[in-house]
Order: sequence, then C-alpha cells, then structure tokens
Amino acid sequence: MPEPGPAAPAGAAGTLVAQEPLRVMVIETEEGMRDGMRRILARRGLNARAVGDGEAALRMLAESPADVALVDISLPEIDGVSLTEQIARRFEGRIVVVITSALASVESAVEVTRRGAFDFLVKPFTPDNLICVVERAGQQWRLIREREKYLSELAGERNLSHQMINSMHEGVVVLNIRREPVLVNPRAEHFLGKRFRDGMSLPDLFPDLDAAAAVEAVIDSAPDHPECRLVQLSVGEGRLQVSISPLLRDGESGGAIVILRDVTETWRAEQDRNRFVSMVAHELKSPLSAIINYLNVILSGMFDDNMPKVREMLERCKVRGEALLDLVRDLLYINSREAGKVDRTIEPLDLRTVIQSQLDFFKVQADKRKIVLLLESPDACPLSADRGDLDRIFMNLISNGIKYNREKGSLTVRITDADASWEVAVIDTGIGMSEGERASIFQEFYRVKNHKTAGITGTGLGLATVRRVLAGYGGRITVQSQPDAGSTFTVVLPKHPA
Amino acid sequence: MARILIVDDDTDLLEGQKVYLEKKGYTVQTALSIDEGLACARETAPDLVIADLMMEHYDSGFVFCKKVRDLPGLEKVPILMQTAAPRKMGFAFETGASPGREWMKVDEVLTKPVPLEHLLGKIEQYLSARSSHA
Repeated sequence: MPEPGPAAPAGAAGTLVAQEPLRVMVIETEEGMRDGMRRILARRGLNARAVGDGEAALRMLAESPADVALVDISLPEIDGVSLTEQIARRFEGRIVVVITSALASVESAVEVTRRGAFDFLVKPFTPDNLICVVERAGQQWRLIREREKYLSELAGERNLSHQMINSMHEGVVVLNIRREPVLVNPRAEHFLGKRFRDGMSLPDLFPDLDAAAAVEAVIDSAPDHPECRLVQLSVGEGRLQVSISPLLRDGESGGAIVILRDVTETWRAEQDRNRFVSMVAHELKSPLSAIINYLNVILSGMFDDNMPKVREMLERCKVRGEALLDLVRDLLYINSREAGKVDRTIEPLDLRTVIQSQLDFFKVQADKRKIVLLLESPDACPLSADRGDLDRIFMNLISNGIKYNREKGSLTVRITDADASWEVAVIDTGIGMSEGERASIFQEFYRVKNHKTAGITGTGLGLATVRRVLAGYGGRITVQSQPDAGSTFTVVLPKHPA
Repeated sequence: MARILIVDDDTDLLEGQKVYLEKKGYTVQTALSIDEGLACARETAPDLVIADLMMEHYDSGFVFCKKVRDLPGLEKVPILMQTAAPRKMGFAFETGASPGREWMKVDEVLTKPVPLEHLLGKIEQYLSARSSHA
C-alpha cells in the first residue's frame, strides 16, 4: 500500500477542512513504533513526519517547524527532557510537546510536563489514544496561535492609535481625574508652546483661567450627563479653539480629552469682517445724517422765505444721496469680487484706447472746472487684461485727479513702456497731501479730510479697490505728493497677468 | 445768546445743524478738525460743545474733548458727542455708566443721525442745568 510521504499533501480530511492540516513531528527511537505512529496520523489527515533522534528533529524543525511534537522520553544522545526544553526555548513555546514514555518512566514523563510539555502518552497506546492526545495538543496549539495573534493585533492597534494621535493636525491633551495631563501630543505642545513632562498640572498647561475652568467643569460633570465645553484661547498672536469632552471609564468620570484647533485665520477674518461692517455702518450713517438734517431744516419751514438757501440745501442732499449710491455700488462690487463672482475675461487690449475713452468720459466734468486733460503715450500699448478691471482702475484715478485738482489745473496721464509692464502715471496739479495722508489713502474708507477736501464726496473705497484689482494682476500702485503741489499716482501693470 | 461750537468733519452735517440752531437763536461756530475746533474754543469760550467722535482718527473726538476740558474756563463746559460709530467698536461706550463718561470727558454720547429737535432738547437741557448751577 503506498504511503504518503512526510511532505506530501494531507489526506482526504485535510482537503475537506478549510484550515491547514496540523503539522505533527514524531520523534521516536524505535523504528516500527515511529512508522506506525506516522501512518496513523497521516491517515487521520494530519501532516505527519517522523525522525529517530533529537539532533535530526531540531534540524528538521528549524527548516520547517511543526505545530505538535511527540517526543520519546528515552531518546539517544539528547534525551526527551532536554529536547523538550530546547524546543520550548528555540520555538518560544509555539510547538506543543507531548511526551511519550513507557509505563516504567511515567514519573519522569510527569516531571517533563512541569518543564514545558503539554501532555504525556503512555506506551503501549491504541491509535485512538494517540489521535485523542494529538488532537488535544492541536487545540492547545490553536489557542496559543490565537492568543499570539490577538496580542500582536492589540500591540499594533496601540501603536496605530499612538501614531495617529501624534500625526494629527489637531492638538490632543488627555487629563486624568486628578486634572493632571497624561498625554500631550506634539501638535498640542506646539500650540501651547510647552513641553509635556511628568507631574505637570492643569495651570501649567493652561494658564488661561477660562480654559482651565472649562476643563474642571467637564471633569466634574455627572457621568450620566456628561458636559462638553467649547472655548477660545489666545496664544501669542494666534487663536485656538479648545473643545473639551469627558473621558469616561466604565461609565465613570475618568478625566477629560481636550482637542485644540488652530482657528487664527478664521478668527482674524472674522475680526476684519466685523471692522469692515462697522466702518460701512459709519459711512452709511454719516451722509444719511447730513441729508436728514437738511430735510428737517427745510421741512420745519424756517427757510420758507429764503428759497435760494433751501435750494442750496437740496442740492447738497442730492450730492450726498448720489455719493451714498456710489458707496453702495462700490460695496457690492467689492463683495462680489471677494466672493469670486466677478468673471474676468482676459483679452488683448490697447491700454491707450482704454484710457483715452475714460478721459473722453470725464471731459464734461473736467471742463466744468476748466481742467485740461492730457494723454502722453506710445501709439499702441498692447496688453492682456479684463476691460472692466482696467476701466475701474483708471476711472477711479482720473476721477480723483479731477475732484482733488484746482480750477484751471491739468490732469496728465503718461504711459511708458517698462518691458514686461506698462507704467501709467496719473499726474494732477491739485491740493496734494501730507506724508501721513499718503500712508493711509489705500485703506478702505480712508479719506483725506481737511478744509481743502470739504465738500468733495467720495466713498473712501476707490483707491482701495484699485489696489485690490491691481493685486489680481501682480501689479501695484504708488503715490508721490506734497501738499499744494499735486499728486502723481503711478500704476505698474504687467502686460500679461501672472 | 448762548454760543455753541460744533466740530465735525462732515461739512453738510455742520451746515444743517448750524442753520437750524441759528434759527433757534444760538450763535453757532463750526470747525472741521480738532485743531481748528481747539483754536475756536480757546478764542470764543463756547457755552456748549458738540463734537464728532471719528474725525482724522477713530478716537479724535475723545482727544478733542480732553483738550477742551483742559482749557482754562472750559473745565465744566457741557460736551455732547455725536457719532455714527456702532456701539461695539473696539471700546464699549456705555454712556449711562458714569466712570465711562468721566474717562471720556463728555456729558453724553448721541448716536447719529441725531434728530435736530432731539439735539436742541439736549442743548437746552445742559445749558439750563448749567445756568441754574451758576
């Protein structure tokens, strides 16, 4: 009858069960016994090998390990006891050893189980005895494997959560029930500007009283009604959002988990927006106050006998009302621009043509004050830009050049080729401005206010808008001016936007 | 007749209040900046001062009021501040709280637009309180 070889595939039973057949190594001095045992096991569908002495067994196991080893206690050279010990040591308990011994040496067999063998089998035994012991050993082997796998997964998960916490964009701080920080990830250390050390206290980590009080409140909150807190914290120039939730252990309060998020940018944007809204409110209310005052004076009838005065006041109402409308338009434009709702169409244009048509538009206003408009330019000034943007830039500058000019003055627009850019100087002969005024004119809502500018209306948004539009092209604007010596605004506009 | 000094950087606001108050019998002087206003206050010693808060700077009005009260003879001149600034703008001015008023050196803060009758009422209130103390 052909026998399956030691490394041959397992028998019928092995192919039917999903798991790999148990690998059994028989280490037995007596040849007949050895073969018999191997055959019984192989017939059972197990992956059985057999060998006659300890040295050979260790060699074979090193090449291809077994799950269960049946060790004859009375082996030559290396005896069963020390072989058991060696197997346990070399394979770190991963091979389950069963000692086989004659009745005479049962006592020593029992002794060996104390030194790492799992079970023992007394010779002579029936095939059923052998199968029964080996299967029990197999179960033991599977338990060991599962435990090992579980432990390694656990260690892996711990390692994983540690790595996750350390690589988080948010800061993480864990405090125990005594309010002592027990975990501070590198991000939290960075945010708080502090190194974690043992024995740190809550105020060490959060000197801010509000934040510390919020942590205390969360830790002290009832476990059945756990409380979460959200506070903001200023750290240096920055702003942190601190979210605190309770750490529960088996339903009991066990401390707090603090998540820190850098909200500096949104916080600043919010502050800018608030300031802008305040400024807008101020700018809207000022002209309305003036208009309402005039109307009240007129309606009171106190100037009914002085129609020219009434007319003068109504004229001013109209001027201020129109300026208010301009302001609302500018605000809507800035808003849509900020929201990205303005579609730019970059197309080939001639700067000279664009500026000439703006000058044509302003001719009526300039004539009223006898201001001469001049254009000095090369014949053609090609560039790529959005027509609406160019109009907005030069409309504002030319309009200012007329408004802040003197009667019978001049406004010159000079275009010069500066290789990759066009330089456009808008030169007026007007009231000019001081150094302090020059520094502020590109800020939203800033308007030069003095005797000379009294009565000139404006939104305070024109130059700020020019600057913003230019920034979108990688361009810039500068100003040179002295009081009463006119102003020169110089625009540098790249021929092809970045 | 009582002399009133109004300081504001809005010419139209000045003009409207000036013509109204003049019709009501007051002598009104106006100034467009705090420097001009101070010169005027020093020269004419007004009976009451009305000042805008945000002029050259967001707090020009406070600076102005402080300087007016430092002028000889004007330590107790009633000062009304009028402003279009929203209540919350970096500093909270609760005009009802006396420590705030003390610090700001103003008697009352009025929010623009101030109805002319309201302004007139306040002026008369402070001027009569003053003359009854005097």
